[in-house]
Amino acid sequence: MPISGLGPHGEIAQSPESLRISATDAERAREGKFRVAVVLHTTKSDWAKQHLVGIAKTLGDNNAAIIEVVDCNFDAAIQNASLERLVHSRPDAIISLPVGNTVMAEAYRKASKVGIKLVLLDNVPTGLLPGKDYVTLVSADNFGLGQISAELLSPHIADNAEVGILSYRKDFYATNEREIAFRRWMETKRPDLVVRHGEFDEAARAGETLNQLLALHPNLSGIFAVWDEAAIPAMAVMKTSARPLPMTTIDLGEEAAQALADGTIMKGVGSQRPYDQGVAAARATLLALINRQPPPWLALPGLAVSRENIIESYQVIWHMPPPAKLVKAVLG
Amino acid sequence: MPSETSLVTGLTERTPDETASSRPRRADAERSSLALILKILRDSDADTRPEIERLTGLGRAIVSDRLATLFSLGLAEEGELGQTTGGRAPRTIQFRASAGLVLVATLDQSRIGVGIANLKGELVAEHHESADKAAGPVQIQKRLITLFEWMLRQHRGDQQVWGIGISAPGPVEEPENAAPRLRLLPGWDEYPIVDQLLHHFRAPVWMRSGVQMMAYGEYKSGSAAGTRDIIYVNLGRSIGAGLISEGQLHRGAQGGAGLLGHVAVTGGHQYRCNCGNIGCLDTEAGADAIAREGLKLATSGESRILAETLAAEGSISQVDVSIAAQSGESAAAEILARAGHLIGTTLASLVNAFNPSLISLGGEVGQLDDILLAAIRESVYRSSHPLVTRDLRIQRSALGNSAGLAGAALVVTDSIFATDAVVNWIGAGAPQKADVALRQIARADSAVAGNPSRPVPPAGT
Repeated sequence: MPISGLGPHGEIAQSPESLRISATDAERAREGKFRVAVVLHTTKSDWAKQHLVGIAKTLGDNNAAIIEVVDCNFDAAIQNASLERLVHSRPDAIISLPVGNTVMAEAYRKASKVGIKLVLLDNVPTGLLPGKDYVTLVSADNFGLGQISAELLSPHIADNAEVGILSYRKDFYATNEREIAFRRWMETKRPDLVVRHGEFDEAARAGETLNQLLALHPNLSGIFAVWDEAAIPAMAVMKTSARPLPMTTIDLGEEAAQALADGTIMKGVGSQRPYDQGVAAARATLLALINRQPPPWLALPGLAVSRENIIESYQVIWHMPPPAKLVKAVLG
Repeated sequence: MPSETSLVTGLTERTPDETASSRPRRADAERSSLALILKILRDSDADTRPEIERLTGLGRAIVSDRLATLFSLGLAEEGELGQTTGGRAPRTIQFRASAGLVLVATLDQSRIGVGIANLKGELVAEHHESADKAAGPVQIQKRLITLFEWMLRQHRGDQQVWGIGISAPGPVEEPENAAPRLRLLPGWDEYPIVDQLLHHFRAPVWMRSGVQMMAYGEYKSGSAAGTRDIIYVNLGRSIGAGLISEGQLHRGAQGGAGLLGHVAVTGGHQYRCNCGNIGCLDTEAGADAIAREGLKLATSGESRILAETLAAEGSISQVDVSIAAQSGESAAAEILARAGHLIGTTLASLVNAFNPSLISLGGEVGQLDDILLAAIRESVYRSSHPLVTRDLRIQRSALGNSAGLAGAALVVTDSIFATDAVVNWIGAGAPQKADVALRQIARADSAVAGNPSRPVPPAGT
């Protein structure tokens, strides 16, 4: 599947499969006995857990040690302090998802300046450039995921209706791309629809945002939440509503997967492949540590998941069998 | 009371008891001193009242008065306490970069990029997406406005748009008494994109060719800081050069300076270029040419890696050729070395003619490939006169793909805050409110409405 979006600076995506680690490369990496730190926005989400599995396996296979995993709890101050500390303990590389842009830029730049190789996930702080300040960005094709979510929602929306977006207030590359793509798809393919939007600061409070949006636009006919953790509280609102609306979202976390299998509110999910993204991040890190320059943006295509293909998709995405409850909801 | 005359600028400040006939000159001097202090603050040359007095040669009362004006316009603000030189520590003063916003965009062969910047020309956010230029200028302009509106929704507080910068996919000609027009792009020559943006956003627009914007970005904030004679080379599907001469962007009579990719090279495949000529550098060494040669290796089986990539992806890009070369495939490395040699030899003529102190290599080809860059370096040094290469540096762009947006933001903000420009708008408080901008906007309104342009009276009369 082709990549629809462009990188944070307009880069053309390269497939992680282009990251070739030859036998000689692998030998050099093993001899290096590299030390890598992982600094994530959270370690609690299904997405983060699968990333960590992919990273740990790939680094471990090449004799590189994960010396620390930091859970920043979506807090820029915690992330800044962690990076400051790591500048002093000097791992060879840091794999990290920056939780902010302007506020995080200086901390990442400092780490890069002391020679720590930075591989970023999903977001690039303001002003940082690939090849100079960081090695590469690894992400899903977030633009493509936004298009998938629009396409999956569209059949459930009547002509000339209104649809709502639950969008993330923070300036964040991945969620910006998803929202822009969803809007562009609707503008191009469903010009009869009017798009409304409400913004949340924390995913857990997206239910309040949905209530506000519905108060302003009571005729909404469908909802797109920019990621599954925001979709969960929004679904809770829907379940108590006299008129539950069809929804789509991004990321096939456990709750979103079960809701999609149940099929009452969740109608489709644009899914990343977090395990494979973790593998790609680890491979890019290893190549950078043996002085090879990976392409500036490595992107994996998103997967369109519906109730019809959720069982197979679950296995592809999570590299494990789906829960029995999910299978029962689909197959009866 | 004698008039105060600055030793630095020759500005003359008159005292209140001078005659009424001197008022216009006094107003001019007041605007000049405001522009000068604004420049000092924006360039961070001084951040306390005593330093401003020393640099401008203006008296304390006048500096205080001008700063009060800048505070009231929102263009300066007080900060922390500065260092004391004996006595009370002075309060620092700084330029307020958030007083307004600048919208910037890059339009190229297949992509559209938008950004938002502060009044120092620093990019705050950017977004890029694919665009089908064949869809025509109307669709591209609509998309551009949609994305600008989205950017403003995300990033605007109570600020206004002070200017718009467009990095265009070709040379930009600026006819007298008319909006700038894009050249060499079928369907765009007569399309009034500048008027459309003026009409929609009510702010002045600066449009330059993409490579010229990139060159300016590199000159001001990239690897060229402190260098005044630069060639910036954009290595992409087409190959262009942006020239900075003695600190000024050289654009050429029709805005087309630096069409390096349309220099004919010898010994190549002699393909016909889209300009109509045969054997242009673009057709031999541009990204498409590298991909084309890589595809030959994939289909002939000379490159195992490229054959596998073709089977998996269905196509070959110039990045794939670089990856194959990095992995040790000599046939792929040969493609890049040959392209680099052709680019370097062509560039050497320009180096002899122009005598730069820096060549900065950017663009999607220039970002990644060490073999290509090494071949360019070797050919430039070998084919140029020893005098012009004596201190010549050749290096990769520090701004990468963001050079176009960064340059556009800096072209706009440097134009707005040029001292002679500030004098024209400071009385109105912002450039988009000045007479010259209001006239441009009125002309654009007429053009968009299909009406002939009519002069409008200056504001306030």
